[in-house]
Amino acid sequence: MGGVEKQRCIIDFTLSSLLRRKGKNGALLVVYTLVVFLLASVMLFTQAIRKEAAAVLADAPELVVQRIVAGRHDLIPLDYMGKIGAIRGVRAVSGRLWGYYYDPLFGANYTLVVPEEQAGGLGEIAVGQGVARSSMASEGNIMPFHTHDGRLVSLTVARVLPASTELVSSDLILLTAEDFRMLFGVPAGVATDLVVAVANPAEVPTIAAKIARLLPDTRPIARSEILRTYDAAFSWRSGILLAILAGALLAFLIFAWDKATGLSAEERREIGILKAVGWETGDVLAMKFWEGSVISLSAFLAGVVLAYLHVFVAAAPLFEPVLKGWSVLYPRFRLTPSLDFAQLAVLFFLVVVPYAVATIVPAWRAATVDPDAVMRG
Amino acid sequence: MIELLDVHKTFNQGKPNEYVALRGITLAIASCQATVLKGPSGSGKTTLLSILGGMARPSAGRIILSGREITSLPERFLTDIRRRTFGFIFQQFNLIRGISVLENVMLPAYPCGESHSLLRGRALALLELFGLAGRAATRVEWLSGGEMQRVAIARALINDPAVIVADEPTAHLDTKLSGEFLEFMARLKGEGKTIIMASHDPLVCEAGVVERVVEMRDGRVVAGGGAP
Ligand SMILES: Nc1ncnc2c1ncn2[C@@H]1O[C@H](COP(=O)(O)OP(=O)(O)OP(=O)(O)O)[C@@H](O)[C@H]1O
Ligand SMILES: [Mg+2]
Repeated sequence: MGGVEKQRCIIDFTLSSLLRRKGKNGALLVVYTLVVFLLASVMLFTQAIRKEAAAVLADAPELVVQRIVAGRHDLIPLDYMGKIGAIRGVRAVSGRLWGYYYDPLFGANYTLVVPEEQAGGLGEIAVGQGVARSSMASEGNIMPFHTHDGRLVSLTVARVLPASTELVSSDLILLTAEDFRMLFGVPAGVATDLVVAVANPAEVPTIAAKIARLLPDTRPIARSEILRTYDAAFSWRSGILLAILAGALLAFLIFAWDKATGLSAEERREIGILKAVGWETGDVLAMKFWEGSVISLSAFLAGVVLAYLHVFVAAAPLFEPVLKGWSVLYPRFRLTPSLDFAQLAVLFFLVVVPYAVATIVPAWRAATVDPDAVMRG
Repeated sequence: MIELLDVHKTFNQGKPNEYVALRGITLAIASCQATVLKGPSGSGKTTLLSILGGMARPSAGRIILSGREITSLPERFLTDIRRRTFGFIFQQFNLIRGISVLENVMLPAYPCGESHSLLRGRALALLELFGLAGRAATRVEWLSGGEMQRVAIARALINDPAVIVADEPTAHLDTKLSGEFLEFMARLKGEGKTIIMASHDPLVCEAGVVERVVEMRDGRVVAGGGAP
């Protein structure tokens, strides 16, 4: 019973003692919250971006074969499919049609893809959320397109794709193979690239090597390679954020060190009085521990909540400069909310624990003096 | 009963600024009496008070409290005994600024683990006793000198100690308030408490409540020592 009541009493004193130094503790709380906010924002943001990337890749094929002409990606003849299909371990080969279209009217880039299963009828398209927003198109509207030979054709928006992950479907337009070939002048008998389904994923490198030997003008790309490319792009982005972060953290450390380690004469005197009236060193440390905990926990909670709102509700306005150039399509780029508790735990140990230690150490030094010091004012 | 056996205190032992403040004090202080340590400045009164009250350890010698030797107890036990046995009234009162009168009085009892509401009740009763019930929520820095002194006494009494220790209690008080203080001490002695004060104020040394005056000089007892 005693232990709990004792801590209750000590916490009680801690709170009224914190309220006494409103200015100092208020400033500390604000700066602390700001740092947690920045750190948590970066964390949530990179985490969410990575999740989007993972979603992109989940649907990516195991192995893609491109034709290379003069070092550049070119259209691939469909009769390559026969040669590839004959390789042992290959389950199926199919051609894909996809490309990019720049809409001069809205200044936006779209990704045009012919889905594997026929989705809509001739002259019909399905569009992603971003496309629908930027072109203000909704179901039943028509969208004008410039063909490769300068004509203007209109396709009907039959469907707006659900926004499961924006990054995947935002700039997407799905259309029929016939419309695609007509729009871009891609002749029958060629495709953008080939998708190879492999029976055993462990054989992907072997099969890729065989394809490269069999068809010297092609380049097989395994999913793991795409993964690396994505990773590089994302780590470049988190790299910039990390730099912002390091600055913030440094400023905070200096600030916290100053605030936490420098016990004022007043605080020293108080610790002396507490010891003189019968507090043990441990009781004084418990008080300082609670004091540090109250400040750092409130800052941690406030910072994380603010970061969550910032990243997932306000669409990370602070990181807009970093996001810019991603695509003109993402003016209202919104990430799918997710919280990674392991990462929050890491953040917790990065900011809360050092602070608690920084408050306890000087208090410990002050609290181990003999209590009689207080008898000589 | 508190017994001191050949107590020495040396500050900064072994350093160039070494200073011997107590040179062999042997003294027995009876329970339920008021004792005053008297002597010129620097004679070692404060040092002796803090050693017999368990706040500091002697460099040599022993202290026996109600038959129990406390000199070599570890900090935790010593603090616990000090908290339950001694109530200290400091010269500058040493109240904590910024928090209420009530909280100041409750402070010494926090480490005891008593229920907060019970403790609050006892603290309020003590304030009532000292005519401070109306000031419980006031911050201590708004109090007058006399009120501060009464808060300091109430704080010394919160753990119901057997011994009240006061160092120069009247140094900051005028004659009227000093008289008031001595009346409080008389009342506490009447309730069976032991009073030990350090003072060179004749008002204290010659007060009716005081049974015994121990005179000190240069870290030694020069008069009134030995057994009570
Ligand atoms: N921590 C310390 N370090 C060194 N010397 C000390 C320390 N504390 C006290 N002294 C010295 O010990 C001597 C006795 O001090 P003490 O405070 O006990 O005297 P006192 O009788 O209470 O004097 P006063 O009447 O002025 O309060 C003094 O000369 C003082 O300078
Ligand atoms: Mg003194």
